[in-house]
Amino acid sequence: MRRVRAGLLVCFGAAALLLSQSATGDDIADRARKLHFSSIVLDTHDDTTQRFFTKTFDLGKRNPDGHIDIPRMREGGMNAIFFSIWIDGRIMGPPAVVKALDQIDAVHENVNKYSKDIVFCRTAEDVRRAHAQGKIAALMGVEGGHMIGNDIRVLRMFGDLGVRYMTLTHFYNDEWADSSTDKPAHNGLTDFGKEIVREMNRQGIMVDISHVSDKTFYDALEISKAPLIASHSSCRAICNHPRDMTDDMIKALAAKGGVIQINYEKSFIDQAYKDAQDKLSGGVVQLIDQVKKDCGDDGECMERKMAAMEKQAVAEGKLPHVSWERIIEHIDHVVKLVGPDHVGLGSDFDGATMPEGMDDCTHLPQITEALMRKGYSDADIRKILGENLLRVMEQNERVSRELRAAQ
Amino acid sequence: MDFRLQSRLALALLLCVGLGIAVMKTRAKPRGQAVAERARKLHFSSLVFDTHDDTTQRFLDGDFDISKRDPRGSIDIPRMKEGGLDAVFFAAWIPSKITGPEAVKRAIDQIDAVRQAVREHPKDLALATSAEEVRSAYKQGRIAVLIAIEGGHMIASDLGVLRTFAALGARYMTLTHSGNCEWADSSTDKAAHHGLTPFGKDVIREMNRLGMIVDISHVSDKTFADVLAVSKAPVFASHSSCRAICDAPRNMSDEMMRALAAKGGVIQINYHVGFLSQEFRNAEKAHPEWEKAITAEVQKRCGEREGCQLIEGDRITREYVERGDLPRVDWTKIVEHIDHAVKVAGIDHVGLGSDFDGANMPFGMEDVSKLPRITQALLERGYSEGDVKKILGENTLRLMEEVEKVSREIKGAE
Repeated sequence: MRRVRAGLLVCFGAAALLLSQSATGDDIADRARKLHFSSIVLDTHDDTTQRFFTKTFDLGKRNPDGHIDIPRMREGGMNAIFFSIWIDGRIMGPPAVVKALDQIDAVHENVNKYSKDIVFCRTAEDVRRAHAQGKIAALMGVEGGHMIGNDIRVLRMFGDLGVRYMTLTHFYNDEWADSSTDKPAHNGLTDFGKEIVREMNRQGIMVDISHVSDKTFYDALEISKAPLIASHSSCRAICNHPRDMTDDMIKALAAKGGVIQINYEKSFIDQAYKDAQDKLSGGVVQLIDQVKKDCGDDGECMERKMAAMEKQAVAEGKLPHVSWERIIEHIDHVVKLVGPDHVGLGSDFDGATMPEGMDDCTHLPQITEALMRKGYSDADIRKILGENLLRVMEQNERVSRELRAAQ
Repeated sequence: MDFRLQSRLALALLLCVGLGIAVMKTRAKPRGQAVAERARKLHFSSLVFDTHDDTTQRFLDGDFDISKRDPRGSIDIPRMKEGGLDAVFFAAWIPSKITGPEAVKRAIDQIDAVRQAVREHPKDLALATSAEEVRSAYKQGRIAVLIAIEGGHMIASDLGVLRTFAALGARYMTLTHSGNCEWADSSTDKAAHHGLTPFGKDVIREMNRLGMIVDISHVSDKTFADVLAVSKAPVFASHSSCRAICDAPRNMSDEMMRALAAKGGVIQINYHVGFLSQEFRNAEKAHPEWEKAITAEVQKRCGEREGCQLIEGDRITREYVERGDLPRVDWTKIVEHIDHAVKVAGIDHVGLGSDFDGANMPFGMEDVSKLPRITQALLERGYSEGDVKKILGENTLRLMEEVEKVSREIKGAE
């Protein structure tokens, strides 16, 4: 009897334990969703802008391809987005300026077209207001200093048109800064490049050090009076790619109040994938060049072709599978290195190859849940989802006001 | 008649005449002062709006500070205050032979230059992009600065660039400068498009949507007619005068002015002597070698500095006048043009578009500080105070408001 009772007790106990465990599981999923959908979820790098120039893409409708549109942003709880202004880094001078202006115009036009859902924002306060109104906040970043045509006046006009960060280079060096994926030509920033950084501080345009060479990064860090961002870079300690940041760089960035926004691109987050890709095509820049030969300037064609090539290579086993959970590893690495105040999200949606399980922005709540399961506090998760970046924006705005007042 | 009577009569006559003259004098003198005082009072209580100034080029020369009195040109903050100028369109301008991306980038540079000038002098200047912002700057005692694009070649046939200019504050665009652009004919070039091309018409529609005033100064008569047919909003001539007084292609015929007015538009009178005076224009045409000589001298003095080129051209032309080669044109000609335009187009359709810092000014209108003279001359001609206010700025503001209203309607219907 006693045995039976004891057996029953064990049985009940085990059942209760199981029940409580599964209840805890449901609870986390539920709590994570609640947290995610009440937070400002800000992504600092999306290449959706290029798609505005195609005939098929419609920001307001669910599109069968790509990673971003308003219905999917709603579903993924992504409520603040930096549309990236980007052209090939080898286009320079006035043609680069005009192409950038066309893209800036396209962002404004497309955002205005869906003004019930999405609103253009210039400040952290604008973003918070949009969130309070239940609207998606649209912002702009210029991805590459080559687009200012070596002209500080053009930079200022980009700022006046609402550009809130500029990546100092893209894949190639520009006239005044070295890129991480080109041969050094300026030993970091030239004197004019330093002047650009100072002007960005005055205008409240955040300095983005994604894409730049390590020396350019340290130069920018030294010159800038406001904290910097890496709008879409990951950790070199996990995946040794020049586009990623070393631990020393992350520490230096954090020490000055900056933030690294983790990029989801497979070859930036997974060492095995990067190695296999290098073997296959000689690297991401070379891969793009190969595809460009077939597609010319047709961005849509390039995206399609690259995606198809990639898919085939994975199917054939030439490229390894990469799970979305790698993203969490990168976030966690930064948090362990410098704490929760210096990391955020910079997906590179619509401009990169997404890991499996992060097929588009509807999957973003997974990140919140994964962080919660790792034991992150709600407050820390909110920081990662968007608050860290908003803090850096606010600091940039304050520095801008101070510099202008001192003039 | 005996001598004594004669002399008495003569004395009486003399006395009468003398008294009469004395009375006239004493009456005339205070009356003259009263007009001057009344004119000053009216002028400085009116919103005075000039729709075309080429000062922008001077910002880029690098040796000009708008906050300091600078007699080399016609415009600076101290003299704008002295002349009671409350609102000014600074034109972004590059020669029409520069096209494509280069033109866009240079226009962007000039827009930045204007915006920087405002940023650097926030106590005196305020950027305005609507009639309401002009009025609010005026109430704050700041000069409203507006941005204009003088020549459609600067958009490089790209509506995205046009929208960008509007987003940066440009509130009118002159469809061409002195050469045709890709989509519109100029009044001073050989007709190439027979007015506006289909794309040119799209440009007009987009300007209507954006709330940018369509400026028909510089364009050919056919382009003007096409614009009137296409534009849903009233249009203006930002700096043109009357062909009936001075037969220059840059000026407007009476018929054109009537058509402009019928659609609610405004002609903003240009002070350039070659557009004001037929005599001056004839003398210039009789000696084409002088223009070449003036151009060469300008080049010598200024090199590539465009702001310098514009103001030195005025100075050298004056040297020709002083030598007696070219006829002297007085500022009162401006008032003749205003009066003519009022008679033809109506009091609601005339304003001021000086072309300061970009043209040859008549004697007595060397710079913006002389503007109150226009108010005085109009009062002397018998214009009511309300009518003078219309010419000084209210007509232009009404036009801006109507253009803004059309823009709201178009956007609302989208």
